[in-house]
Amino acid sequence: MTSLDNIGIQVEAVHGNVRPILNEVLHALDKLIANNETTIIDLAGLPFAPGELDELEETLGQGELSAQLDALGSSRIQETTYPGVWWIEHRNAHDEVVGRYLEITRIPEILSSQDADVCAGRARLGEQFE
Amino acid sequence: MKNKPTVGEILQAKGVSRRGFLKYCATTASLLALPPAMIPRIAKAIESARRPSVIWLSFQECTGCTESLTRSAAPTVEGLIFDAISLDYHHTLQAASGEQAEAARHAAMEENEGGYLVLVDGSIPMGNPGFSTIAGISNHDMLMETVAGAAAVVSIGTCAAFGGIPGADPNPTGAVSVQDLVKDKPIVNVPGCPPIPMVMTAVLTQFLTFGQLPEVDKFRRPLAFFGQTIHDRCYRRPFYEQGKFADSFDDEGAKAGWCLYKLGCKGPTTYNACATAKWNQGTSFPIESGHPCLGCSEPGFWDKGGFYEPLSTGKFGSGAKVAGAAAAGIAMGVIAAAAGRSRQAKFTKEG
Amino acid sequence: MDLLEFARGPALEWAAYILVAGTIWRIVGIVLLKEKPDYSEPRKPAGFGAALKVIWTRAFTAEPFAKATLYPKMMAYVMHIGLFGVIFLFTPHIVFFEGWTGLDWPGLPNSIIFFLGVATVVSAVALLVRRLTNPVLKLISNFDDYFSWFVSTLPVVTGLLIPVRIGLRYEDLLAVHILSVVLLLIWLPFGKLGHTFLVFVTRGTTGMVFERRGAKT
Repeated sequence: MTSLDNIGIQVEAVHGNVRPILNEVLHALDKLIANNETTIIDLAGLPFAPGELDELEETLGQGELSAQLDALGSSRIQETTYPGVWWIEHRNAHDEVVGRYLEITRIPEILSSQDADVCAGRARLGEQFE
Repeated sequence: MKNKPTVGEILQAKGVSRRGFLKYCATTASLLALPPAMIPRIAKAIESARRPSVIWLSFQECTGCTESLTRSAAPTVEGLIFDAISLDYHHTLQAASGEQAEAARHAAMEENEGGYLVLVDGSIPMGNPGFSTIAGISNHDMLMETVAGAAAVVSIGTCAAFGGIPGADPNPTGAVSVQDLVKDKPIVNVPGCPPIPMVMTAVLTQFLTFGQLPEVDKFRRPLAFFGQTIHDRCYRRPFYEQGKFADSFDDEGAKAGWCLYKLGCKGPTTYNACATAKWNQGTSFPIESGHPCLGCSEPGFWDKGGFYEPLSTGKFGSGAKVAGAAAAGIAMGVIAAAAGRSRQAKFTKEG
Repeated sequence: MDLLEFARGPALEWAAYILVAGTIWRIVGIVLLKEKPDYSEPRKPAGFGAALKVIWTRAFTAEPFAKATLYPKMMAYVMHIGLFGVIFLFTPHIVFFEGWTGLDWPGLPNSIIFFLGVATVVSAVALLVRRLTNPVLKLISNFDDYFSWFVSTLPVVTGLLIPVRIGLRYEDLLAVHILSVVLLLIWLPFGKLGHTFLVFVTRGTTGMVFERRGAKT
């Protein structure tokens, strides 16, 4: 997007959203530690100012584990530098972002192999022997 | 009604894995502005839903709404939603035309009587039926005929919802909205010029997932997307509160990204999701790009004072009328003074 | 036409006409009255300067009465200054005046305006309580006093409700606010609120009369 960057404006920074979200993550971590409770924060509904989403991502950072899911487009599941806090970004087949979440959990549900898929896979493998 | 495959079956047949399906449900929850905790419920509902039939009628419109919808990314109109929904008639998108198309429309209406969804974009001219016709049928006739057996009607865009630009002063075609004509079916309005793509998709998805129409406000707009004003969700709101305004386009305030109230922004009186959902997959929205909100999802927005006139500008009538008021004041004053002076004279005389 | 369009359009327009007509009526009606002849020797030639001087000095209480009237004086000042601030230093209002006069001036942050608004209402209520409890004031107060209080305080209250919202829609609260201003503008020239423009006439006249008689101004 270089042509957009060439427009000579100096946008005054607004920081309204990052701190409250981090606070929510803090409380979610407390719940995770105390009762093993999962919290999902949908980042789609929040009115981010230009640059705030990047600021949030930078603040949380990238941790040890990242996974790429290829189903109906690619999705990135990244543990942040805060273990238990996962950044999940879903893209569709046209590589457009269709969902963005913070999941505070031991392991995001979507990473587990799903029952229906396991059964379908077993059936397929079984066919190999017939 | 014919026993149609469920959406779950359709997706399975397409080779969509359970993970893919979960991803779809998550994005649907996001789309419908539902909390993530509802994802399991959505998964269950979609799995067992049957494909509804949809008939799309285009009347006096610019096709912007269709264009906007086909740009919708989540979860890909071409890919999933419209495969999940059987779009039986859309005279801009479909291949067939003329009599063949009309035959398809009638077949869909008969087969799905009582259960199909009618989507309308564009206003309906009442001035003369010949102003806008499809295959020789006037818009009014086609609308009334098609909604007769429908489950519900969704008016897409400000033209269908409120009359839009054809309905703006002086309204030469006598354009009216869908809700002006249809009185006996549930109607949902999805206004905007055009509406945000994902909002249109969300309404359809809600119908698909839960078999019901969303909760609406007094203008029949889904509360999930039209329940808040732009002003209440605008990221520039802190500047409004601090008193930092752009005075003209391209001045220092504008370049610093300050509030656009003084440039005519209609954000405070406009209900839409632009400030949160934004446009082009969350790229930006008019205010973020430096242009004041036009208020395009409100009834009669074309005639609500200029786009660049601030909301708190009054309409004062002409200078001539004010001068007239002044003259009236002088006249009354002279009369009052005359009465006063005669009282004074009487008083002094009587001593 | 919905309530907001009515409030912003015909209601405000007619309020403007009535305000102009009423104000000019009262001023002309007073100014054209016959001046009572003063047969005494003038001690000093009464000049316009005396008029201006008294307009200023009457803003301050004369020494013997200062202590006794301190409380109502303070409350009245808070009310007037607060009112001036919320009307003329709030940016959406400044934009309104700009549409009318073409003049623009800087405004204050919304939080300060809100504080001024609250201060205005609190001082206004304090003054009303005083009017109702002080035996002398209670005796001499009439409809004009109470109604003028009501039409001046109501716009500030309705204006404060807009950011507070109390669950109602912005457009409805704005319409109610504008209509309360319309009520104020219509009443203004006719009752005691006319002091808005008449105070200068009366104080000026007093000044000139006193100066001519050699009294302290």
